[in-house]
Formats: sequence, structure tokens, C-alpha cells
Amino acid sequence: MSKWFEWVGLALICVAGSGWAMDRYPGVGRAATVAEVRAWDIDVRADFRGLPEGEGSVVRGRELYGAQCAACHGSAGESDAFFTPLVGGTSAHDIRSGHARALAGSAAAQRTTFMRLATLSTLFDYIQRAMPWETPKSLAPNDVYALTAYLLHLAGIVPEAFTLSHSNMANVQSRLPNRHGMTTDHGLWPVGEAGDGDMGNGGIPDIQAERCMNECRAVHGH
Amino acid sequence: MGDLTRRLGRLRPAAENFLSKADLTAAREGRRRFLRTSLLAAGAMTGAPLRSQAGEADPAIVNLPPWTTSPGRPVAARPYGSPSEHRSALQRRGPRGLSPLGANSASFCPLQGLFGIITPSGLHYERHHHGWHDIDPRRHRLMINAAHSGLIAESRIYTVDDLMRLPPVSRIHFIECSGNTGTERIRATAPTVQYTHGLLSCSEFTGVPLRLLLEECGVDFRRARFVLAEGADGASLTRTIPMALIESGEVLVAYGQNGEALRPENGFPLRLVVPGVQGVSWVKWLRRIEVGDAPYATREESLHYIDLMPDGQHRQYTSVQECKSVITTPSGGQTLLSQGFHNITGLAWSGRGRVGGVDVSVDGGRNWRSARLEAPVLAKALTRFNFDWVWNGQAAVLQSRAIDETGYVQPAHAELRAARGTGSIYHNHAIQSWRVAPNGEVVNVQVV
Ligand code: HEC
Repeated sequence: MSKWFEWVGLALICVAGSGWAMDRYPGVGRAATVAEVRAWDIDVRADFRGLPEGEGSVVRGRELYGAQCAACHGSAGESDAFFTPLVGGTSAHDIRSGHARALAGSAAAQRTTFMRLATLSTLFDYIQRAMPWETPKSLAPNDVYALTAYLLHLAGIVPEAFTLSHSNMANVQSRLPNRHGMTTDHGLWPVGEAGDGDMGNGGIPDIQAERCMNECRAVHGH
Repeated sequence: MGDLTRRLGRLRPAAENFLSKADLTAAREGRRRFLRTSLLAAGAMTGAPLRSQAGEADPAIVNLPPWTTSPGRPVAARPYGSPSEHRSALQRRGPRGLSPLGANSASFCPLQGLFGIITPSGLHYERHHHGWHDIDPRRHRLMINAAHSGLIAESRIYTVDDLMRLPPVSRIHFIECSGNTGTERIRATAPTVQYTHGLLSCSEFTGVPLRLLLEECGVDFRRARFVLAEGADGASLTRTIPMALIESGEVLVAYGQNGEALRPENGFPLRLVVPGVQGVSWVKWLRRIEVGDAPYATREESLHYIDLMPDGQHRQYTSVQECKSVITTPSGGQTLLSQGFHNITGLAWSGRGRVGGVDVSVDGGRNWRSARLEAPVLAKALTRFNFDWVWNGQAAVLQSRAIDETGYVQPAHAELRAARGTGSIYHNHAIQSWRVAPNGEVVNVQVV
């Protein structure tokens, strides 16, 4: 009997840690409904999980962009009046290599969105949640596809006669000029004791500064 | 004039615009005259330092002021009190240039005028990506869901009231924008410590560990290594949060700050607290937590808050704020009005734990001595340090260097550059230098 009790207790603890809701605080909080989650869960991940179905053409995107975006971002995404330019600084060479070449070496004068963009999901997700500035979340999925398509066209990544959709996002991803431009090989992501499944180099700092106390290095110019 | 000097003390705590140029000249001259008379007096009374002496009398003493000769104002005249009018120049300040959209901007905390380690909530720095609202807490919800099935057992909804019913914890932590000190990467640029280091604050936060809420949802910690945090603002700002920190119990869903509710500018009614990690991850106006098994590559971790390296690659998901310190007084824009004793004070912090020590140099980094750390010295919180200094009136360059409990030493600019170049505007934690000129003026300089 007591053995049986222990066994059941142990089993309960195990399942609680692996996929069973606990109810230690009865009456506090409640289950979410499907409609509620659908209303708020709009994020799109790098692997396109969360992408809504739909499509939009470059031509339709040009119309929307002219009406809702150009005033701030410029007719070709070049304006820096409100924010850094969306378009510019990338080349056909970058589309082949996946590295925005202008980023290397001396600091580029202006870093545009497409020079940095490594994941197409990011552009779609951000326009969908935050733009246009005055009325965020007013765009339907097809509008977001069209606007994304138009920006991709301005950046020379897709032709004018192109329609972007949930089924060809991954193809376009493989043409982004800076798609290989990110690294997580650094020590600034906090990792757990196990570390497995986490990112980064395990938290190892890249600088080992010296703690000199007396007659230290020469002091250089001010 | 002697009166003005005594009222001001020995340091002009600019740049809060307390004094005009004329005031300053008057103060300096007054100080000289005052020093002369008090030296004469001191000479006359050798051997009897505690006895009162003949001579000039301070009008602040002999002329009784109105507050000593009349009744004061009644209780609750100001039901939610405010600081002294005499401190009104101490303010958070927006960018120095023009900003086309103030709702996508930052304001800086006036570190030069603060004491101890707690930032008054009204002076907390701000960084908004889509402006702030004063959200009605009764209409605010926190949703917890998952990227796909198998990561949690149940998606759940909590009201602000619900969260306040759960067992709370209170913890003191610093929050620093990873863009803090970003203007100083290549050369000394900003005039004051408010603008060089003011994207930094420290508060006592009260809330519920996120771990508790995820456990209520039946999270599978082995598969769910990442969490997306999302705000209720126009940008619905999102950022990936490391599960390791959530599991440790450190990450809080906070509603309290310094004994009161969060201020609207700081996320009222709910914000995430992610100790040791840069400010952008402390999502304000928190409305949703999504449990996932991969990082999210959101805009604030793909187009911004990424660190450009010399080879053109960007470090992505950089999060920890490394060991750093700064002298807050004397600092840029302030003026030493006299030689003699000056307390050097400042702040030190580390996103990896407690501050282990702070060294101070007054000769531009050639020689260093240890500063005193003032209690409390808490993990991932600001630590106040103090250092005795007698200024002899010669040019000096003041620096501080922090070491944390892991042994990490705050680097010099040269050491930072050797590892990362100068292309990134994020994560500049190099040693800051302030030059004291023989006339007492303190300016921002860069010592490589
Ligand atoms: C009122 C001016 C305004 C309008 C209109 C506007 N934007 Fe923006 N946009 C901004 C600002 C300001 C930012 C930067 C926000 C921030 O930094 O958090 C921005 C950011 C962006 C970004 C992110 C760029 C990056 O590198 O991070 C994209 C993409 C974008 N806008 C697309 C659009 C699209 C598409 C539209 C039209 C549907 C639009 N914007 C309309 C002002 C505007």
C-alpha cells in the first residue's frame, strides 16, 4: 500500500514536469479559448511557423505602399527622414553569396533594412504587427504579402511580375542578400546548466581584460 | 559672494543648468575670497578648532528664514508627493538632436544627481518603439500559449488581478539598454554622464516568477528552450527570452516598482523583468508569452540589437550586459569649485552576478586603487562605490573599472576594440574617462 502510494506520487511529479497543467493556485487564471489565442498569436517564426495563408503581388504592393508607406519611407524605400532607409546597399553579388558585402570592414555610411535582413519572416512579422505607424495591425494578410513583395522588388530580389505567397516564402528566403549574415557564436546568450538545446558558445566571454594596478600601460591620446 | 559659495558647495552639479556663467564666475571668486578669510581665521585659532570664533557671520544662520518663522503647508497638500522644487532641474532628458517621432525614441536618466542605487521611478530612463499608453488594467490580459502542441499542456489567461493574487517576490535589479554608451564607441561624444550612461536604471521590482506561470500551464522544460515575450503597445514589441533564466526563477512578470505600481512609461500594468539582460528583453505592457522550441528572429533581434563585427557578420541574440562601471561625480559638465577633498562616487554592475570590486584611477589609468563598495551589493543590481580623493588643482583623468564575482574585468576601449572593432552601437562597456581641468571643469574624454 505505502509502496503503491509512493509510486503514484512519483509518477505524478514526473508528469507534472512534462506536459500537465498544475493547479496549485485554484481559481487563479483560466484556460484560453481557441478564438482568443487566434486573435493574438500573430507571430511568424524564422521557419515560417505562424505564417497566415495568403498572397500578394508586387503590383498590388506598389499601390498600397504609395498610399500608406511612401510618405515616411520614400517612394523607393530610400528615405531617412523618419528612419534608416529600407532599401539600398545590396547587390546581385550579395544575392548570390548571402552576405551584404558593404557591412564588412569600415563602417558603412548607412545600414539599410535589406543589408541586415537575414530572415524574411522578420520583415513579414514586423509589417503585420507594427506598420503602418499610425494604424498598426490594420493590414490584412494579403496586404502584408503584397507590401513585402513590393519591398523585395525594390531591393532587386524578385521581378516585377511576382506574387509572394505562403508557399513561396522559403524560396525567396534563399535569395536574401544577407541571409548568412548572423552568428550566435558568442557568450552573451544566457545558458542553463545543462546547456543542451540552448544557443551560443556556452557563455564564454570574448574579452579577458587585465587588472593591472600600478605603472600600467601608457595612456594614449584624449 | 561667500554666501553663494557656501550655498553651492564645492561642486557645480551641472548639466542641470543650476548656474549661469556669471554665477559660476561669482562662485569661483567668492570661493577664493572665502578661503582667504577662513584661512586667516584658522591661523588665528590654532589649538582651539572647536571653539567658535570672531569674524564674519553666515547670513543663512543669523537671518532667520521664512520656514523658521512661519507655519508650513498642511498634510496631504500634495496627495501623491513630488520632489522639492529646488531639485526640478534634475530631469530625464530626451535626445540632444531633433527626433522626428518622439514615440520612437529614448530619454536618459540623470545619474549625476542620484544617490545610492535605486532610481526614482519618475526619473527611470525610457525607450519606446511605438510610444506609451496609460493602459486600463481592467482591460489588460496576459496570455500564455505555445508555438505548437507538446510544449505546454494548456494555454492560459491571467488578469492583472489574478497575477496579484499569486505569491509575489520582490527583487532589486538594474536595467540597461544595450545601446547605452553607444555614442562613445569611437570617440568621446556626449557632454554628461546622463547622456553617456543614462540608459540605465535600478529598481525594486515586485511580481510573480514566470516559471510559476509556465508550470501552471504544464510546460515541458526539456523541449521548450525559448520563450517569446510580446507587448500590448502599437509595435507589440517581441523578443526571444532564454528558458535557462526562466527556469532559474529569476525572470518575473512584474507589476510593482519601488513600492508602487509600474509607471506607464515603464510598462504599467505588467512588464517582464529579465535580470542581467539588456532592456529590450524586459518587454513592457506584457500581453503574451509564447513557449517555443526555437528562437523567433523578431525585428528587435534581427534588424536591431544585433552587434556588427569587423568581418561584416552580426552577432544575434546578444543579451547579457557585461560588467561595467562609471563615475557619476565628478563627471562631464560638472565643475570642481575648489581644491581639497572630493568624494568620487559612481555605479558598478554586472549581468553575470555581483560586483566583486571597483578600482579607481585619477591619472588616466596608470595607477589604480580600490574603491569602497557600499551595501547592499546585490546580484545583477547597481552597486554604489565611493573613493576618497584630495584634488591638488592639477589636471586629472578619472576612471573606474569594475570586476564581477566571476572574475570578469571591465575592459579598456583598446581591449573592447581588439575583440569587436568599432562597428556596433551596442554593448559598449569600456572604461569611461572624465578629465578634470585645472580650472575645475570636468569633460568627457576617451582614453583608449
Ligand atoms: C508615420 C511614418 C511611417 C509610416 C506611414 C510607415 N512607417 Fe514604417 N517605420 C516608421 C518608423 C518610425 C519606423 C521605426 C520604428 C522603430 O524603430 O521602432 C518604421 C519601421 C519600419 C520597418 C522596419 C525597418 C527596420 O529596419 O527595422 C519596416 C519594414 C517598415 N517600417 C515598413 C513600413 C510599411 C510597409 C509601411 C506602410 C504599410 C510603413 N512602414 C509606414 C515610420 C513609418
